[in-house]
Amino acid sequence: MERVGMDLSVDLAGIKLKNPILLASGTAGYGVELSSVIELSRVGGVILKSVTGKPRKGNPSPRIWETASGMLNSVGLENMGIDALIGEVLPELSGLGVPIIASIAADTVDEYARLAAVLNGATGVSAVEVNVSCPNVEKGGIHFGIDAEATRAVASAARSSTELPLFVKLSAVVADISEVALAAQAGGASGLSLINTVPGLAVDPVSRRPRLGGVTGGLSGPAIKPIALKAVWDCYRTTGLPIIGGGGIYDVDDVLEFLIAGAAAVSVGTVTFTDPAGALDIIETLPGALSALGVESPGELTGSLRV
Amino acid sequence: MTDKKGYRAGLQSRAILIGREKVSRKAHVLDFEIERAEAMSRPLPGQFYHVDCGGGREHLLRRPLSVHGITGSEKGAPVIRFMVEAVGWGTEKLCSLEPGTGVGLLGPLGHWFTPVERGRALLVSGGIGIAPLFFLASEMDRKGMGYDLFAGFREGEEYYPALSDLKGGIQVYTDDGTLGSKGLVSEGAVLRIKGDSYYTVFACGPEAMMAVVAVACERSGVACQVSLTSRMACGLGLCRGCVREGKGGRNLCVCAEGPVFDSRDVKWKE
Repeated sequence: MERVGMDLSVDLAGIKLKNPILLASGTAGYGVELSSVIELSRVGGVILKSVTGKPRKGNPSPRIWETASGMLNSVGLENMGIDALIGEVLPELSGLGVPIIASIAADTVDEYARLAAVLNGATGVSAVEVNVSCPNVEKGGIHFGIDAEATRAVASAARSSTELPLFVKLSAVVADISEVALAAQAGGASGLSLINTVPGLAVDPVSRRPRLGGVTGGLSGPAIKPIALKAVWDCYRTTGLPIIGGGGIYDVDDVLEFLIAGAAAVSVGTVTFTDPAGALDIIETLPGALSALGVESPGELTGSLRV
Repeated sequence: MTDKKGYRAGLQSRAILIGREKVSRKAHVLDFEIERAEAMSRPLPGQFYHVDCGGGREHLLRRPLSVHGITGSEKGAPVIRFMVEAVGWGTEKLCSLEPGTGVGLLGPLGHWFTPVERGRALLVSGGIGIAPLFFLASEMDRKGMGYDLFAGFREGEEYYPALSDLKGGIQVYTDDGTLGSKGLVSEGAVLRIKGDSYYTVFACGPEAMMAVVAVACERSGVACQVSLTSRMACGLGLCRGCVREGKGGRNLCVCAEGPVFDSRDVKWKE
């Protein structure tokens, strides 16, 4: 049976998390919205929706399409902008008692540096996720993340602008993700966040039009889990950096797989849409699942893949 | 403050299907008995529940369903009623559920219709858009408020017989003339909006129908509330997936700010 009171805490690049279950960027809003629905203080941390320098309206509707074991989204980085995040959201989040990782996205290297600098002094931010892999914007986004040199430049610019731990969020849709991961490391990344959604398309055969207003979207959900696991395993071996692993996590068994492949913590995203309390279910069942494997902490599993 | 699963009070997490009836050629009415009734917030007309159709990891997203009514079970527990038209995997699954099945159900969510306390209201529905407006009409009956309901269907076989139980003035339109007046309900409604002194118009149905009604209301200076539909993921305002463009470039988050909007805030699609 479950071991009551197992210590689930993990050290993630110097941040102490009470458990390794994080809510993924873009699926938990700015944290505030979800805190009225579930007891948010029980999660290990919340990675906020990416913000840009100025507010963005995002892509035309429809923005959502369900696919086999997944979904496409084309939200297009709609966000309130960093000023509103600092002025309105962070003060409200400070009372929640949960580590907050802010996520930033930009069109230029300089803008990444500026955003990282603004967050450096912000209250209540434990770390910064650098999103160089959004597939739904014309400029910036994945155009940085598919290029090792551009990724290094972004990581380096952000690194020199903040003392906070920096997690660079990568796309798996590259020829060799470990090359990009090494570039992020060379730029000064404290860790990696893997993976962003996978670019995709859905078509209405009757109208011959795309299902999404933005034409293409990002695929998430269990359909991308094997892709994400391989990315985690590749990057863990080549960089040794602490990794936030995620992509299609649906239940506690998925979490075990990500830990074994090399993740120090995991991000759960799309399952929050299936069940807003999905992350809490996973946290509840994690001690029993770890005990069943004969380990006493999540960290014991990290990178323990037997090959 | 929270239940065992971690949901805060006021939002349901589970319900049992206690009855399902096919009420027209395409639509089913489903009755769900609420578990944890003591923690329930009473839904208002226009609000919705985000319903898990049991797709597991194959079909991940819940389906947003407007409340069609509230009744009580034999046990005295509250029962939430939905009207569902089978149009895809999730709604087909719901329309074939066996009574006794437990379903994950999150709500009530969203912004509701705001009934007016004086004057007469006009309710205009197209197809399955009758689902929330029937609930609104029932509540107006309960409060003794006056209204007319114009209900449009493609054909007579889609007519919803329970309409005859309502106390308001009911006018039925079908595209093919097999029942009621032949023609579009929006055209009939527009004539009445111009001619009569309705205080508020409530509309739910296809985009083109609501757009025609909304424009007529704006021209006649009549307030109009519309219930929009959109593909949703979270239903809680987290993902911004259901967002559509509103007037003046403002974004409308259908799940959290809607689904009911003042029609003047909506930018209608072509």
